[in-house]
Amino acid sequence: MADEETLGPLPAGRHGFSREQVAHNQRERLIAGLATAVAEHGYQAVTITHITKQARVSRRVFYANFESKEECFLAAFEVVAGHIAELATEAIAPLDDWPHRAVAGSRAVLSFLAAEPDLARLCLVESQSAGPAVAARFHDAVHEATPFLEQGREERERGRELPPSTEESTIGALVLLASRKVAAGEAERLEELLPDFAEFVLAPYLGAEEASRIARTA
Amino acid sequence: MRALPGKSSRQPPGPEPVSRAAAAADQRRRILEATADLVAEQGYVNATIEQIVRRARVGYATFYKHYADKQEAFLALLDAAVERTAYAVEEAYDGEAGPWPDKVGAGLGALLAQVAAHPNVARACLIEAPTAGPEAAARHEAALRRFAPLLRPGRELNPRSDKLPASLEETLVGGVLWVINQRLIAGDEAKLRALLPEALEFLLRPYVGEDEAAREAGQAGAASA
Repeated sequence: MADEETLGPLPAGRHGFSREQVAHNQRERLIAGLATAVAEHGYQAVTITHITKQARVSRRVFYANFESKEECFLAAFEVVAGHIAELATEAIAPLDDWPHRAVAGSRAVLSFLAAEPDLARLCLVESQSAGPAVAARFHDAVHEATPFLEQGREERERGRELPPSTEESTIGALVLLASRKVAAGEAERLEELLPDFAEFVLAPYLGAEEASRIARTA
Repeated sequence: MRALPGKSSRQPPGPEPVSRAAAAADQRRRILEATADLVAEQGYVNATIEQIVRRARVGYATFYKHYADKQEAFLALLDAAVERTAYAVEEAYDGEAGPWPDKVGAGLGALLAQVAAHPNVARACLIEAPTAGPEAAARHEAALRRFAPLLRPGRELNPRSDKLPASLEETLVGGVLWVINQRLIAGDEAKLRALLPEALEFLLRPYVGEDEAAREAGQAGAASA
């Protein structure tokens, strides 16, 4: 998420920014404003006035960018989910073997969520109460990790195929585990989950003992 | 069905309630069913008391006699659904005389059957409960915890049980509920029963290893087919 400095209002009067730059800046500020307002009030209770006050823009500007609170939330969700996906991609890039890539990706996601508890809540908890469009997008975003997990099947020494829903169950189990921590106000402690989290990801592919060894030494 | 001339369309189907208590129970049942359907169809936030009373074929006064507001009706629905589901699962689990993996298979089968029989209630509980505020979310959490103890005896079958994370049982239950949730979102409740072998393997694997879990899953799949 962009820091405070880049999100402050533009100076009033003549400022040499193009109309597009101003509009872009306003949209970013609204997204950041929503994140702050939702952290404070929760999605259900948050109002467009809360958002515009945080963003220091007018209601007219809000409606020029978004049709509704839900649409603004969806935009914020996309920004955060995109950022998390980028962090995970960067973390695994330097590594060759799948098990260590899986651990590094898990660590990157958990570290981000632990460092940004408000955004963790937005993504994992508030998204559940932000209407069907957001809920559907949340499930799609979570399942974007499925192809990466499926690569673990190539690590298997057994000839037998795992059931098709293995990755879906594994990801769902871990997302719920993390969401419950965040909902309980323990987002900061998410990194403690890493060894258990990584072992759970690796076990179907490497077997319990090897999964435990890698998860606890990586 | 259209009411026949001279018959009130408000009359419930089936035999007339015989007592005041039975009538009240019938009203509550209809209100909760209507709440489940409307919440599943259009979301908790959008469902209104006006729609609920119309669908339940009761008056406003009757609604408010039983529940203070929409949230109270929804929480009562969650409580009833969790109770009914947990009862069915525990009955099946306890009633299975075989070893622990068979008990888990029986309990899981009962869970999937409950969801398939009441898909709108399941949708309301799994998908909509988090939108209905912290009290509803707390009940969701309570449901997760209710199933976890049924898995815990599996630790005795695992030689490295001391290394299993404390949160394993709740994590596994969460994974199964997640997949059920996915099928409900996709409108695939017809496929729920077919999940039994896969979900059973997922639940058993951490305790008994893949070979044994797959064998149990194969048996459960053959028995339910």
